[in-house]
Amino acid sequence: MINPLRKIGKQFLDWSDTIGGLVLMMVKVFANSAPWKLDGQQVWRSMYRIGVKSFPIVVVTALLTGAIMVIQAGMFIEKYGAYGLLGWGAGYSVLREVGPIMIGLMFSGRVGANTTAELGTMQITDQVDALRALAIDPVRYLVVPRIISMVVMLLLLVIIGDFAALLGGAITGQVLLGVDVKLFVWSIIEYIKLEDFTHGLWKAIVFGYSIGIISCYFGMSTRGGAVGVGRAVNASVVGSAIAIFVFDYFITYAMH
Amino acid sequence: MAAETTQDPNAQVEEASPGFVHNMLAGIGAPILELYGTLRDMVRILGLTIYYIINGKGGPRRRNDIISQMYEIGNRSIVFIAVTLGFLGMILIFQAGFQANRITGDLSLLGALFLQLLLREFAPTITAMMLATRVGTGMAAQLGSMVVTEQVDALRMSGAQPVDYLVVPRFIAALIMMVVLTVFAIIVSFIAGAITANAFYGVNPRTFVDFGMLTWFDLWIGMAKAIAYGIAVPITACQAGLSVVGGSEGVGLATTKAVVNASLAVIVLDFIISGIGYAILAIL
Repeated sequence: MINPLRKIGKQFLDWSDTIGGLVLMMVKVFANSAPWKLDGQQVWRSMYRIGVKSFPIVVVTALLTGAIMVIQAGMFIEKYGAYGLLGWGAGYSVLREVGPIMIGLMFSGRVGANTTAELGTMQITDQVDALRALAIDPVRYLVVPRIISMVVMLLLLVIIGDFAALLGGAITGQVLLGVDVKLFVWSIIEYIKLEDFTHGLWKAIVFGYSIGIISCYFGMSTRGGAVGVGRAVNASVVGSAIAIFVFDYFITYAMH
Repeated sequence: MAAETTQDPNAQVEEASPGFVHNMLAGIGAPILELYGTLRDMVRILGLTIYYIINGKGGPRRRNDIISQMYEIGNRSIVFIAVTLGFLGMILIFQAGFQANRITGDLSLLGALFLQLLLREFAPTITAMMLATRVGTGMAAQLGSMVVTEQVDALRMSGAQPVDYLVVPRFIAALIMMVVLTVFAIIVSFIAGAITANAFYGVNPRTFVDFGMLTWFDLWIGMAKAIAYGIAVPITACQAGLSVVGGSEGVGLATTKAVVNASLAVIVLDFIISGIGYAILAIL
């Protein structure tokens, strides 16, 4: 017999613990983000590892996402025969919503999970404590460079991914629907505004920051051996996915 | 080359550091080879899984395993799926309503179109992406730590097939749960969308709940996607978990690999099934 009140209380305490930890992590990161405190070499290295290494997967994801959105829009376009709207329909949905969400989810799976696994492994093999013993602040040396790279790199990857998605959409429109590429591009130029594009970029910045904070927090608070690392990665990707959808809604609401 | 090395000691150094072309080819080839190896491994595990579903050891043990896995996958994902898909429904309706208001001002078809799009595309795909993150990491971490602590070898030693024992229950449970959770996701998303439409655009829920656009075709496409993802996600995750090398670092890498592979598999399958569906629709 488990007392239900006790269960609810435990759940509540767990959540409070996590949220408090995330806020503390933000404060620590903010305190250590001053330009003169940055470790330039580390930032540069993690930018390469986070950005360049996830470039192929983001491009593949974006190409396919653009293609899928054109197919879905095409089903409605076909019905009304409004082929001039295909570029607008696919472009608007990709640039504003689907692009940042899909690329963000992929990014959280690839980079966020990797960061959590890395920091978690360091934590359980006492490497983080070793850094402390050498008077090196782990947050400054391990966390801040990663978070800065995630924000910068997700922004750049979303820019690249948007274009890849539109390219995939244009190719699919030509091959599958028989809509001329010129018409597709004209439709985008005619109807898509710059704010549609920047709307997605704001999302990319927020997603990058939240994925960074969440993945680093769960990595640094790993306990309990190899199983603990797996659990931390699981918590990190779940948290990132929730953060992506929730923040997406609030940004969409705030921008209108 | 061997004759030259006796005269010129530098020749050996040059041979040891390959040239630019060599590096480029290696850079292209290594990922392709790795992809091929992973795919081959997945097909092997899928084949073995199907084989053992048919002639493996059934009985009460397997049934209990499947039920506990279903609890693990289904029950623990409900809140997560509800939150993410609920917000997705709100986002989509918010954007769609804004556009419809701007262009035509006619919001009466919003619900019908939204339901069609949910069934065809968003509910199965996003549910599968969420399960890939939540369940994929869990499976890979579990099987990975079993491999690292040599429990899988112990299974082999005692004459039990690891695939039969570990993968089959997870596979069946994930497949069933993917379909169930997709239906759940449609309901949650649709309700969230209806509430949003009512709150922001004043659409009457009775107008919003409109099954007029739905065809059997949409249902088939949605179900085909759910089943395809239900096969792909556990197989990719179990493959990542069973191919762990090294200690706890390997487990971390395997969980990452599971998420990425499962998500990619979902997107690729989505593209293929959507394309086939469109082609069928064009023929009809």
